[in-house]
Amino acid sequence: MASTTNVIPITKKRKVYSLRALQENLTGYAFVAPAVIIILVFGLFPIIYSLYMSLFNWRIRKGDFTGLVNYTKIFGDWGGFAIFIGGLALLGTAYWLWTGAFKSNSNLARKLQIGAAVVLIVAGIIMSMGWGKMVAAGDEDFLNSLIITIFYAVGTVPLQLGIGMIFAYLLYQKIRGKEVFRMIYFLPYVTPVVTTAVVFRTIFSSRETSLANIVLSWFNAGPLKWLFEPKAMSEVFLGLKLEGIAAGPSLALGTIILFGIWSFFGYNTVIFLAGLGGIPKELYEAAEIDGANGWNAFKNVTIPLLSPVSFYLFLVSFIGTFKAFNHLYVMATPNAQNTVVTASVQIFDVFYAQNNFGYAAAQSIVLFLIILGLTVAQNKILGERVFYG
Amino acid sequence: MASLTTGLEKSQSEGKGVRKFSRGSRTGNQSLVYIILIIGAVLALVPFFWMISTSLMSLGETINRKWLPAVPQVANYIQAWNEAKFARYFWNSVIITSVTLIGLLTTSILAGYAFGRINFKGRNAIFAILLSTMMIPETITWLPNLMLVRGTIIPLPGGSWLNSLQALAVPFMANAFSIFLLNQFFAQIPHELWDAAQIDGANHFRFLTQICLPISKAPIMTVLLFGFIGSWNAFAWPLLVTTRETWRPLMVGLWTFVSEAGPETHLLMAGAVITLIPILVIYFLTQKQFTQGIATTGLKG
Repeated sequence: MASTTNVIPITKKRKVYSLRALQENLTGYAFVAPAVIIILVFGLFPIIYSLYMSLFNWRIRKGDFTGLVNYTKIFGDWGGFAIFIGGLALLGTAYWLWTGAFKSNSNLARKLQIGAAVVLIVAGIIMSMGWGKMVAAGDEDFLNSLIITIFYAVGTVPLQLGIGMIFAYLLYQKIRGKEVFRMIYFLPYVTPVVTTAVVFRTIFSSRETSLANIVLSWFNAGPLKWLFEPKAMSEVFLGLKLEGIAAGPSLALGTIILFGIWSFFGYNTVIFLAGLGGIPKELYEAAEIDGANGWNAFKNVTIPLLSPVSFYLFLVSFIGTFKAFNHLYVMATPNAQNTVVTASVQIFDVFYAQNNFGYAAAQSIVLFLIILGLTVAQNKILGERVFYG
Repeated sequence: MASLTTGLEKSQSEGKGVRKFSRGSRTGNQSLVYIILIIGAVLALVPFFWMISTSLMSLGETINRKWLPAVPQVANYIQAWNEAKFARYFWNSVIITSVTLIGLLTTSILAGYAFGRINFKGRNAIFAILLSTMMIPETITWLPNLMLVRGTIIPLPGGSWLNSLQALAVPFMANAFSIFLLNQFFAQIPHELWDAAQIDGANHFRFLTQICLPISKAPIMTVLLFGFIGSWNAFAWPLLVTTRETWRPLMVGLWTFVSEAGPETHLLMAGAVITLIPILVIYFLTQKQFTQGIATTGLKG
């Protein structure tokens, strides 16, 4: 008897429970539905659809299925592509050896470091071989735009980080007007890049009376064409006549790099300032007792302890330059030709101006894969690193 | 990134900063620090000074390159506002941004609450998929979304959405970042509150609107702030979907004016100042929250 009376309430409870679970589930789905639908439609679906479009000869209207033809047009030589990827894999190996060196004893560490250096050089040679083959047969404009993107990233990221760190350190001293300085440094970052890029277009215009050229005239230097100058900086400033990648970024790109630094250093200052707040005061006191001066303390305490923040900022900013578009598009003057066209601007041009949809889709898939690769590498590297806090 | 927030708070609240070293040359060091800081501030501000000063000049003064206008030409602003149609672009931007923010707030509050407090099947998987969209570059979304909005992929109600408010607002009405931010906040609310509310017969919706929302002002402000900046500064997507002036927002209007203005730099700069004003007002009003929001999230806009 006792057992039967026990059974009934349990089944009843289960029924009530499952009804409530159903209700919970339905409420949950109803709540997330609007956001999920928008993000799926406008965020995720484009990737699948780009992949689909990239397999067709698609100019405004869908044409024939062409398989990988669009990708072959980009890379030109699949053999060269394979060699390049092989070089990239070697680069990964070099990193692996390098991190291995820090984990092992000093004797082996030396050998591993030398090994890493050798592998790094070999990887560089192989990659440039593969790249050369690709450029010779493939889409020079797009491949070149990737180089421009890397020029821009390498030109702006280390400098904006370095300047940001210095200003953060100075602001962290006992000074007056700290809040005001921070607010001013942050201003270029807060203001819309389209607006500030338009202002930079007038400041760095090729007119003799542009602000940049007035400043040059103070130093008795002749006017420059700035954003309108396709010549490499190595040629403009040093008179070197180099060809292709070896010549380095154009003066126009150099000006855009300057804009990038101006625009983003304040962001880095704020993040570094937050990182500085996390460094224990005792370390500075200890350094002072050991007789360290300001510069020594900065070099031996601040920089090492900020390294996790720097590393995070470096990777995020580097990936950010591959995603950037607005200011790069606004500052890309026709006069500067293709020396300022980064990958995102190139893709925009291919579908917006040239109406070559299928091909632009293939290019955007390539850019997406590069960013995906960088993000995976970022997560792996950041995951392995120890954070001091 | 929690350590960064506390770091920023520390760096602000203590105000003492690093103790000064090498006492002998204290004043020398100190003034060097100020000199560097001031040079930095001047470099950061010069473009703004140039923009404002030029916007108040006459055409002759911009060509002869004065530093300051003899008589500030406020008429430039009236001309930019009326003839260069900045008035239209401005109100377009205001409407687009407001509609976007209402949508964004609704979707992310509901989703943030559900991911944080409702146990439904597949919750973690859906959340992970949404978070993964944060790394997707905008570049890849333009073309498919443009075709979607033109109605070429699936037929849309009302035909093509080109030059329409919905095309400008709907794609920005949800993002993973806002959901993530609110989810973290809602998940922290003590379970006892929910138990008590249930005894009073409240369902999830009532609990959310009457208990959770009133105590979530700070994260909601952050979502609004970032949503505002994102929407106000949007450029590439509006450029694609506005072929006419009907719904053209400020940033696109400024860009098209670059070629229309030609040598009339003073009008272009007046237009540029107009695009900045709302952002600057909000920045100066919410300065602390602004900087802290960025330090917490490490977000790059």
